[in-house]
Amino acid sequence: MAARNAILKHLRVSVKPVLSSSTSQNPRLIERGLIQLFRRHFSEEVRGSFLDKSEVTDRVVTCVKNFQKIDPSKVTPTAHFQNDLGLDSLDTVEVVMALEEEFGFEISDNEADKISSINHAVDFIASHPHAK
Amino acid sequence: MASPSRTEIISLFRSLLRSARQFPDYNIREYTKRRTIDSFRHNKTLSDPSSIAAAFSDGKSQLQVARRQAVVYSLYAPEIKSIMDVKH
Repeated sequence: MAARNAILKHLRVSVKPVLSSSTSQNPRLIERGLIQLFRRHFSEEVRGSFLDKSEVTDRVVTCVKNFQKIDPSKVTPTAHFQNDLGLDSLDTVEVVMALEEEFGFEISDNEADKISSINHAVDFIASHPHAK
Repeated sequence: MASPSRTEIISLFRSLLRSARQFPDYNIREYTKRRTIDSFRHNKTLSDPSSIAAAFSDGKSQLQVARRQAVVYSLYAPEIKSIMDVKH
């Protein structure tokens, strides 16, 4: 997040002088439009490496809710797989595999063994550069 | 035969599910997954160390079969992944 802001700030500074000299009519509007364009482009690139945490939480919760054995009303962003959702160790493996498919990357065995709650899964996925 | 540890069993389960994902054909992919989950659930209540060990080695040989078959099936993968892609 900090890195993204830094990049955007840098970009904004470097874009401004070019625009104010080249556009005569309504420069502010065009400038803003261009910055928006750049910002969108950049955030897309950044998202390729690290996902936004709130987005990850949403997707994880939706993914977990789709499980047959889980009561969707019990799924909260802080729910523990075994204590709150009543899953056993095999179910937990299934959930983690489903998350792998959702985010398109592979979680190694010892990392996957540690994931025991939705909170933990979100933290792990948000800190993983290959998640998409 | 020594009885396998919990981690080993979970790891076998995960490996089977991973190899199930390799199949290009939807039916076989889902079948392998379903069969893995069902048989692990079926043997959940085993308590005798020798029967646990027997089930574990059976699972290991099934994993070999799944891996080998995933390669074979990938050589003859259907051109269309899903019938939803068929254009009329």
